[in-house]
Amino acid sequence: MAPLLAVTVALVLADSAVVTLALPDIVLHLDASVTEVAWVLISFNLVLGLAAVPTAMSFARAQPRVLTALGIALFAGASAWCAAAGSIEVLITARCLQALGGAWAVVGCLELLVAERGERRGVATWVTAGVVGTAAGPFAGGLLTEAFSWQAIFVVQVPFAVLAVPAALRARAVPPAEPDRHRPALLPNITLALMSAALTAALFLLVLLLVEGWRHSPGQAALTVSVVPVAALAARPLVRLLRTPPDVEIAVGCFLVAGGLAGLALPPSADLAWTIAPQALVGLGLGLTVDQLTSQAMHLRLPRVRHAAWTIGARHLGVVVGLVVLTPVFTADLMDAQEPAEVAITSLVLDAPLPPQDKIAIAKALGDALVGERGRVPDLGPAFDSLDLAPAQQPAADRLEVQLDEQLERAATHAFRDSFLIGGGLALLALLVVVLTSVAGAATGAVSGAASTRRRVAS
Amino acid sequence: MTGVPLGPPPSGPPPTVRPAGGRPAGVMRVLGLPVLALVLVAGVLGVQLDKGGGEFEPLRPADACVERGVTSQAEGIEGLTERLVLLGVDGAACRLGVSREALTLELAQPGERSDAQVDALREGLEDAVRRMKRDGTLPPASDLADEALEDADLNRFLKAAIRALPDKVVDGALKTDDVLIRAIDDLDLRELLGNLDDQDDLNRQVEKAVTDAVKDSLLDRLRNLI
Repeated sequence: MAPLLAVTVALVLADSAVVTLALPDIVLHLDASVTEVAWVLISFNLVLGLAAVPTAMSFARAQPRVLTALGIALFAGASAWCAAAGSIEVLITARCLQALGGAWAVVGCLELLVAERGERRGVATWVTAGVVGTAAGPFAGGLLTEAFSWQAIFVVQVPFAVLAVPAALRARAVPPAEPDRHRPALLPNITLALMSAALTAALFLLVLLLVEGWRHSPGQAALTVSVVPVAALAARPLVRLLRTPPDVEIAVGCFLVAGGLAGLALPPSADLAWTIAPQALVGLGLGLTVDQLTSQAMHLRLPRVRHAAWTIGARHLGVVVGLVVLTPVFTADLMDAQEPAEVAITSLVLDAPLPPQDKIAIAKALGDALVGERGRVPDLGPAFDSLDLAPAQQPAADRLEVQLDEQLERAATHAFRDSFLIGGGLALLALLVVVLTSVAGAATGAVSGAASTRRRVAS
Repeated sequence: MTGVPLGPPPSGPPPTVRPAGGRPAGVMRVLGLPVLALVLVAGVLGVQLDKGGGEFEPLRPADACVERGVTSQAEGIEGLTERLVLLGVDGAACRLGVSREALTLELAQPGERSDAQVDALREGLEDAVRRMKRDGTLPPASDLADEALEDADLNRFLKAAIRALPDKVVDGALKTDDVLIRAIDDLDLRELLGNLDDQDDLNRQVEKAVTDAVKDSLLDRLRNLI
């Protein structure tokens, strides 16, 4: 029963990013713009972020088993509706419902997991499931898109949920909710929100760069971004080995994410290998920060479910902030990248070692390809395939195609640079919050220490 | 994974999740992970920058005012025309203060051409002829004569007569640069640029003008000789 509930938590939280690798397919299938399709992510995270705390409050007045089961059922139904969506508007509406059901499910699962496994293990399972789901979402989505279609991402959630509903209903009864005794942990939640925004930059932008900019398939991109969850899992043993204090761990995590994003902003080529090390830094940072911050924000605060909901709200509103800040930046940069890309392509075609008539044919085919792509990074392959060149000219044409593809990759990579660096800036901002919190905590400790010393001397 | 121990509600400073067992943190515990992170980030960024990470950007257009060599895979009038157009667009772009690529893309767009564009292109083409003459890359007129006559709508006896002329006579009678300058002068560049479907139409139309100019010059000279 507990594993099913953990899987539900992972599924709901994976959904915040699961469609990232499918976005290019959704753009084509639903005839949407990049900005519209960003709302497929924004709507889910916004509703989940805003609904989490009110949902948790509703748990004080109802039996968590019933609310959780209802939430899972709504999540599953909305997932099926997402798969059947015929327009971007319907998909976004279904995503909002999915997030609403997800909020009940994920908050309720915490209570049920604690009832099932005890406080310590229950919370730990819930936090781990969330981190794994968040990190593995794009990977799973990419593989499903590659193997089947973008709709498969939503379809596969339905059977899991169908099993989880009876599991939730059969869970142990949860004791009555504790009274509202503590304020939300402001600084851990702010740090969590900033880190979520930065991690959004890492996952959302990277997969778009790989699929849209570098023209890799969703499957290849999914395998590539799997470095992040693997590195995130490696973070725990490392911390245990070094026995690092929690605040230091979080600060280092923020720094690693910032460094990883800077690395993603500066690849020396469009070779996938150059994304591995920066992603490993991001993954390590993710592993060091998110569960630690979540635990800090919930630590000893009652009622538990409400403070867990604050962390959900902080994380997903952070994702929204990341998407809202970064989407206009990189879409504008992609538009701006068209001109240098066109200039580079023109230069290469003019100087290509091909007879003038072949250059004319290539220029026309490229022009048609650019118009056909409606502002997206074009795939020049079909333009070259449509040419009827003499066999003697084919090698030069092939070389030209490679050179032109490289120019497009360069332009796309350059267009994502600012957004990655902004993401790195968000991680550094999170680091600043951690450092200031630690300094303030140390000062408070010193003052109370001095006061108690004075009291002892006086007595 | 860090667990959350049960206990009384918090008060005072934010709690730490993993108590250190009551012992003060050692230097290694505090500095180990930060030092490792610094090394990792510096290593990754250092290698990437060393391999050109900051310079992975699209090709930037060369300064159109800096002379560069141009080649063509085509021969005869087609090859000559291509080189002339490439050098001519360079010269025009230099005069207009834009890149060769920007001017090419601009000319590929439909619409009216400005006087400045037309004048710059004509002067650019004429500069190209002079430069090729200076470089010694202009072919002798005799190299162009056969090709110019091939599709010319001329009496076959006339064609045969011209073809019978020794190359020396043709080259002595016709200076390639004069023929080309005449062709460029005679070109209605405004109309030509206004009707361009794409920038490469320029090649085709200049090629036709060069062919006609060679043919007409040969006929003029032949009439004089006769």
